[in-house]
Amino acid sequence: MAADSAPHVGRRRLRVEDPRLLTGGGRFVDDVELPGMLHAAFVRSPHPHARILGIDTEAALALDGVHAVVTGADLAEVVQPFVSALERPEVRTLVRDVLTTDRVRHVGEAVAVVVASSRYLAEDGCDLVAVDWAPTPAVADPLAAMTPDAPQVDPDAPGNLVADIRLESGDVEGCFAGADHVFAKRLHAQRHWGAPLENDGVLASYVPATDELTMWCTTQTPHATQSLVADALGMPSAQVRVIAHDMGGGFGARARTSVEEAIVPAVSRLLGRPVKWIADRSETLAAGVHAKEMVVDLSVAVTNGRLTAMRADVISDAGAYSLFPFTSLVDAISAPAAMPGIYVPEALAYRTRSVLTNKSWSGPYRGIGQGVSQVVRELLVDEVARELEVDPIELRVRNMATGDGPHRTHTGFVYDGGSYVQALRAVQERMDYAGLRDEQRRRRAAGEEPYLGIGVGAYVEFSGWSGELGRAHGYPSDYYDSASVTVEPDGSVMVTTGAQSHGQSHETTLAQVAADALGVAPDEVTVREGDTATSVWGMGTWASRTAVIYGGAIMRAAGDVRGRMALLAGHMLECSPDDVEMRDGRVWVAGSPDAAIAFADVAGFAYFGTAMAGHAGTGGGRPGELDVALTSTRPYSPPQVFSNGAIGVVATVDPGTGVVAVERVAFVEDCGTMLNPMVVDGQIAGSVGQAIGAALFEELSYGDDGAFLSPTLQDYLLPTALDMPALDIGHLVSPSPVTEGGIKGMGEVGMVCGPAAIACAVADALAPLGVRIDRMPLDPDGVLDAIRRARD
Amino acid sequence: MSGEQPITVTVNGEPRTAPTEPRMLLADFLRHELGLTGTHVGCEQGVCGACTVLVDGELVRSCLLFAVQADGAAVETVESLGTREALHPIQEAFREHHALQCGFCTPGFLMAAKALLDAEPDPTEAEIRDHLRGNICRCTGYTGIVAAVRAAAQQLAQEGDRGR
Repeated sequence: MAADSAPHVGRRRLRVEDPRLLTGGGRFVDDVELPGMLHAAFVRSPHPHARILGIDTEAALALDGVHAVVTGADLAEVVQPFVSALERPEVRTLVRDVLTTDRVRHVGEAVAVVVASSRYLAEDGCDLVAVDWAPTPAVADPLAAMTPDAPQVDPDAPGNLVADIRLESGDVEGCFAGADHVFAKRLHAQRHWGAPLENDGVLASYVPATDELTMWCTTQTPHATQSLVADALGMPSAQVRVIAHDMGGGFGARARTSVEEAIVPAVSRLLGRPVKWIADRSETLAAGVHAKEMVVDLSVAVTNGRLTAMRADVISDAGAYSLFPFTSLVDAISAPAAMPGIYVPEALAYRTRSVLTNKSWSGPYRGIGQGVSQVVRELLVDEVARELEVDPIELRVRNMATGDGPHRTHTGFVYDGGSYVQALRAVQERMDYAGLRDEQRRRRAAGEEPYLGIGVGAYVEFSGWSGELGRAHGYPSDYYDSASVTVEPDGSVMVTTGAQSHGQSHETTLAQVAADALGVAPDEVTVREGDTATSVWGMGTWASRTAVIYGGAIMRAAGDVRGRMALLAGHMLECSPDDVEMRDGRVWVAGSPDAAIAFADVAGFAYFGTAMAGHAGTGGGRPGELDVALTSTRPYSPPQVFSNGAIGVVATVDPGTGVVAVERVAFVEDCGTMLNPMVVDGQIAGSVGQAIGAALFEELSYGDDGAFLSPTLQDYLLPTALDMPALDIGHLVSPSPVTEGGIKGMGEVGMVCGPAAIACAVADALAPLGVRIDRMPLDPDGVLDAIRRARD
Repeated sequence: MSGEQPITVTVNGEPRTAPTEPRMLLADFLRHELGLTGTHVGCEQGVCGACTVLVDGELVRSCLLFAVQADGAAVETVESLGTREALHPIQEAFREHHALQCGFCTPGFLMAAKALLDAEPDPTEAEIRDHLRGNICRCTGYTGIVAAVRAAAQQLAQEGDRGR
């Protein structure tokens, strides 16, 4: 039975999650119904910037079925505002009332909540709430927001500036002064976001008799939300329970605590009834966590074909509020920190600014900072290659870190090594790079349309975000993440973690980790997450941290429990605990596997002095010194860890219509020890799919006046099955020397390197026309505009 | 509630009667009146396809149909397919090919795939992609989904051969 035998890590194990999700048995927020439950809907601002002169709730309250209309004034006494702060002198601390009382700062900002007996009636009630608005000038463009006369979004952020951070390392001036060439470009990266398919939702049930609050919500951080909401409501955390069982995607957009996650429980507490709010798509689009809108200036000094220095200036559009709790610095700090990427310049300088505008707040989306940095840097590297007439792959190889050992970047990261050059070479071979270039030459000579373009790139992805990685970024904070492992009386295993799975297959893969650590089959392991009442504390799932952090915590906790199992088994088998072996659900004295006893029998002995099945033959009670708990909770905070890989994109561009088609993608990734290759491939495919949207059409558009132009999925276009190319995936395995089990995180790969490689392919296709890409996305209008500008 | 009238819909083979407001969406009727929460609502704008069900054998977005419009009709939802113990071949194929991650879009894809394979037992990859373009998956990049539908077609064809 090789398939049942250890090790289970590294195997293609089918998912534990699937049977319920395939049969309609998922447990998403809107699937939960409670007795006496009321429904909430929000009155939201149609204006980008306006003062609130008054809110008339009378007509709404008169509507049959409406129970309450709650405004910011009603909540001011019962909910503390959100304070978004980072302990750095360059960063301003900003405060947000969860429900504004005096002023709205973006289209879609909530101003009142109508609570009724059905969602239909709650929405009717919203139509009857009359807000007396006094619109004021708004600013939507971050560059305009930095001008002296710009409307001010927050009085605590003069000049609309949340942060202004500089870093310089090495002799930047010298490198640029002595360079053979200096290349520079400015890139406008568009506002887009994770766009999870399940809309935001909160169901809050405050029970007055027990002073307990239970809430179901769409969050990647149940424990952090528990702590933050409890704090905002003035309740002990232990009286607050946050549940996020199944969730329809997150992609970073739910690594935050939303204002609705404070408002809805507060309303439930005011009314003493359960209250459910399920957002519609328009409010999810208008008031969600947007991301990645940046204007990046990058220049590089090149001497003897080497990139000797980089200088970056990043202006990151925060939106109207600083995200809670991570602040608006998520992209603003990560983008310049990730600017070196795989390269090893001698010197680097950056300045990064986070700027308020009258748009929804911004925060994480898969590949924070890294993805946009990769776009501008890789486009510029290709421009260098074109100018110097060097092949883009050879130029990269000449300038890359090898991955042979640790490498410290000027921005504070310590890469733990990997297959940096090998991965790029592997992609080169897989995509038949030489053959593609021949084909491209032939087509260009024949004047064939559409044009063929090739984009390549190598990447590192930061993962396992712990205090160490956060501090390396410039986020002065620690994090606590833990896992518990318990062997139950029947020998089955319960694992809980502070993570939250929303597609990442934790119930499957983390069970594989625990199974190997204990010597049982993965089917014997149940993984429970996403419920603060049943799971141990952790910062949740984001930034490719779960496999590294929670996998490592499980290994440590399981090691404790295994040691106690060995103690018990040593007594039962009359041998030293050091001589006990455990595998495949059996326990034996080293050298005597035929005389094995069942893992379950040892568990039963621990609890009852005899096996549950009653046949272990221990012949007596359990000595007092064997009163051990078969459970352990262990934290794990890993050192910095980076996975790596490379991508090759083949795309065609129709110069007449501006339509880009991604024809093929070759991908080689190295995340060290793979927990489950099927799941790794799934993360690659999914993130490449999102990269196509990010590169080619996803955009949260605002008018210059702050009007929101993307309120439906007919405006905010997501990739469909027709947009996804053939995908060829290869793996290299360089276990991390610094983490438990050699695990590296890889959940964001395609969004780290994909948009860049697609942009590079488009630029490559259009290079004969002299086109330079300096604005994303590359939708038909964008491509045609780039062609026009090259001709003018 | 104003203007409620009873409607009868045959859902997954069983006649179900419930008083219904004329403006109630079929999706809400299925989810909240009948408790069939497998059908998901992702946009209420007719774009994402998560709420896809079959009405008299036709693919329908249940967020764009009023429940009263389904009065007297036969509706099939994801709950009509297999069970945890005995998955439908399309469900099996989705599991085997890692065609779902968060699982929110999955019921809609399963019903869309069923409609395709009912009408065209041996679709090409291009036909599968074209047919599924009305359903959005945010997690998988569609790679596993397309592979699963192809595999399900083969499996169903084999079962059909055996049944003959």
